[in-house]
Amino acid sequence: MFLGTLVYGIVNSVILALVALGFNLTFGISGIANFAYGALYVLTGYGVWILLNEVGLPLFLAAPAMVVLTAMAGALLYRVVLIRLRGMAISEVIATFGVGLAVLEFFRYLGFIGFEYTLPPLLDGSLSIGPVFLDLQRALIVIVGVTLTGVLWLFTHHTRLGLAFRGIAQDEHTAMCLGIHSDRVAMFSLAFGGGLCALAAVVILPIGTISVDAGYDVLLEALAVCIVGGLGSAVGVIVASFILGLAQTYTAMYMGSHWMMIVTLVAILLILTIRPSGLFGKQKELEERI
Amino acid sequence: MKRWRWFWVATVGLALAGFCIPRPTLAGGEPVVLAVPTSTGFLEGKESLNAVRMAVEEVNKAGGVLVEGQRRPFKVESIDIRDAAPGVPVPEALLGLEKIILEKNPHAIVVGPFRSEALLAGMDIIAKYKVPMLGTIAMTPASEGKIKKDFAKYKYIFRTCLNAKYLVGYLVGLMKYIEKEFGFNRLFVMHQDVLWARKTAEITSAILKKSGWKILGSEAYPTGASDFSTGLMKARMSRAQVILPIFDMPQSGILVKQWNSMKVPTLMAGFISPLAGSKAWKAFDGKIAGAMNAIFEVGNIPVAKVPESVKFYQAYQRRWGEEVQSGHGPAPSYDTVYVLKEAIEAAGGLDAGSIVAALEKTDRRGTIGRIRYDEGHQVVFGQDPAKAALGCVFQWRPGGKRVVVYPPSVAEDKILLPPGLKPVK
Repeated sequence: MFLGTLVYGIVNSVILALVALGFNLTFGISGIANFAYGALYVLTGYGVWILLNEVGLPLFLAAPAMVVLTAMAGALLYRVVLIRLRGMAISEVIATFGVGLAVLEFFRYLGFIGFEYTLPPLLDGSLSIGPVFLDLQRALIVIVGVTLTGVLWLFTHHTRLGLAFRGIAQDEHTAMCLGIHSDRVAMFSLAFGGGLCALAAVVILPIGTISVDAGYDVLLEALAVCIVGGLGSAVGVIVASFILGLAQTYTAMYMGSHWMMIVTLVAILLILTIRPSGLFGKQKELEERI
Repeated sequence: MKRWRWFWVATVGLALAGFCIPRPTLAGGEPVVLAVPTSTGFLEGKESLNAVRMAVEEVNKAGGVLVEGQRRPFKVESIDIRDAAPGVPVPEALLGLEKIILEKNPHAIVVGPFRSEALLAGMDIIAKYKVPMLGTIAMTPASEGKIKKDFAKYKYIFRTCLNAKYLVGYLVGLMKYIEKEFGFNRLFVMHQDVLWARKTAEITSAILKKSGWKILGSEAYPTGASDFSTGLMKARMSRAQVILPIFDMPQSGILVKQWNSMKVPTLMAGFISPLAGSKAWKAFDGKIAGAMNAIFEVGNIPVAKVPESVKFYQAYQRRWGEEVQSGHGPAPSYDTVYVLKEAIEAAGGLDAGSIVAALEKTDRRGTIGRIRYDEGHQVVFGQDPAKAALGCVFQWRPGGKRVVVYPPSVAEDKILLPPGLKPVK
C-alpha cells in the first residue's frame, strides 16, 4: 500500500506542477497574475473535444492545434485587455478574472453540460510497478511533466527569447535599456503561460472530465502551488507540487480522501503566516528591504 | 380586372373557411403556467426541463387542459436556481424559487429544487404561496416527514421521483441478489461527501451488516475529486468482492475507468451518475464493461417490460435529437405534467387545495410504472411496474450495451462477472 500511495502521490504531484507551471511563468516574467488561467484550461478541453467530435480531426492534430490556439488567446488577452492596465495589479486581477468568468460561463450558457465531455487517452493500457497497476496516461503525465521542466530550463537559459524573459523578470527597466521590448515579452509570457496551460489540459483531462467548474478548481490549484512555492519561482513550483501532492495522497490514504482539500488550505495558511513570499519566493523580502 | 376580382373573392373565402374549420388540437384561453425552478445548468435539471417541455407540447397539441369547461394550454416558465452548483448558498437558490412564483404567478411548480437542502428550506416558501409542487429531483425523505408532521401547511408538496429510502431498498436488494447468485458478501463503499450520498451509504451499509455482510471500509470523496486510486487500493487490500459507489458528480465516471486500469478484482455495483446514459460508453473509452449502475426511474432507460418507458425514451430522442443521458429526473418530470393535467381536470379548476386533493387520488400508468402517492406525498416505488413505480439496475456489456439485470421482474439477463472474478459458492 505504501508503494501504491507513493506512485499515485508522484503522479498527483506532477499534475499539480503541470497545472501551475504556466501560471507561474506568466507571473514570474510579466508580474501579471492571470486569473483567466482556469478558463484557458477549460477552453482547451472543450476546444479539443469540438475538434475531435464535431470537426472530425484526429487527436494528434486537434491537441497541438488547441495548444497553439490557446497560446494565441493568451497573447490576445494581453494585446486587447491587459496592455491598458499594465502595472495596476488589482485591475489586472479583476480584468483577467472577469474574462475568465465570461469564458467559463459562456460555455455553460452554450450548453456544455453533461458527462460526455471527455478526451481519449493519448496512451491506452496500464503497466505494473511491482504490485501497483498504473494506467499509461498517468505514466505519460509524469514523462511530460519531467520533460517539460527540462525543456523550460533549457529555453530560459539558452535561447534569446528565454534570456529576454529572464531579463525582464530580473529588472524590467535595465532590460528595456538593453533593447528588450517589455510589452512584447509580456505578451509572449501570456502566450507561453496559455500554451503550457493548454499542454497540461491535453495530458491531464483524459484522466478526468471536462466541465466548467474544472476551470475554477484549476485556478485554485495553480494559486495554491504558487503561493506555497513562491510566486515566480520555478524551483518553488516543483518543490511545492511535490510537498502538496504527496501530502494530499498520503492524507487520503491514511486519514480519508475528504481531508485532501484541507492539506492545501493548511499549507497556504502556514506559508502565509511563516514565510509570506513562499518557500522560494523573494517578493516580500525585497519589499521589506526597500 | 374581373379575373382578379374572382381571385380575391376566392382567397378571402378560403381564409374565412380556414377560420371556421374546428381545430380541436389547438388549445386557447389563458395559459396554465407551470414553473420549473431547478438547476438547469446540470444534466438532470436540463433534461428534466426538456421532458416537461415535451409533455407540455404533447398536451397542448392534443387540446390542452380542461379548466372549468374551457381548454387551456400549458405554458412553461423556468429559472436556473443553481442550487446544485458548488458554493451556492441555499438562501440564494430560494431567491430564485420565490422570484419565479412572484413574477410568473404559476399555477403549479414541477421538477423543483435539485438539492435536498434547498427543497427542505424551500418548503416554507411553497407553503406560503400555496402553489402545488411536484418535485422530481431532490430525494430526501425528510420532506415527507415534514408533510406528515404539519399536513395543512405542507400539503402542496409532492414527489414523483425516487427518494433516498427507496434507493437504499434497491441497493440492498441488488446486494442480496448478488450474494444469492455468487456468494459474495464482502463490501467496500466509496461515496461522494454530500448529504444524500453519505446517508445512503451509511444506511445501506448498516442494513447489509445486519444481514451478515462484512463492511470492509468506506471512503468519502469531496465533490470534484478525480483520483480514486486510494479507495481502490484499500478495496483491493481488504479483499473486497463488491464495491458500492454512490456519486452524482461528473468526475465520478473516472472511478470505473480507474477500477478497470488498476485491475481491481471486484464487482462494481451502485450509482455513478455519469455512467447512466448511453454516451458513457464512448465518453469512458469503453472501459466500463461489467459495471452495474442504478437508474432511479425507468423511462430514463428503456425497459422492454414497461412499454411506456420505451415510448417516452424514443419520443425524447426524436424531440431533442439525443437520448436521455441522466438516470434520474426526466421520466418522472414527463409523467408529472400528465399527472397534473389529470388532477386539474378532476379538480374542475385551478384552486390549489382542490388540485392537491385530486393529486392524492392519482392512479396512473406512466413511463416510470404505476404512479400513486402515499400519505407523505411520495410516489410508491416497488419491484413490479404494474403495482408501483420502478427503478432498476443495468450492467454495461462489451460493445456498449446496457442490459437491465435487476429487479428480476424486468431483468433482461443475469449479472455477468467481469473476467478474473469467480463466484464463491
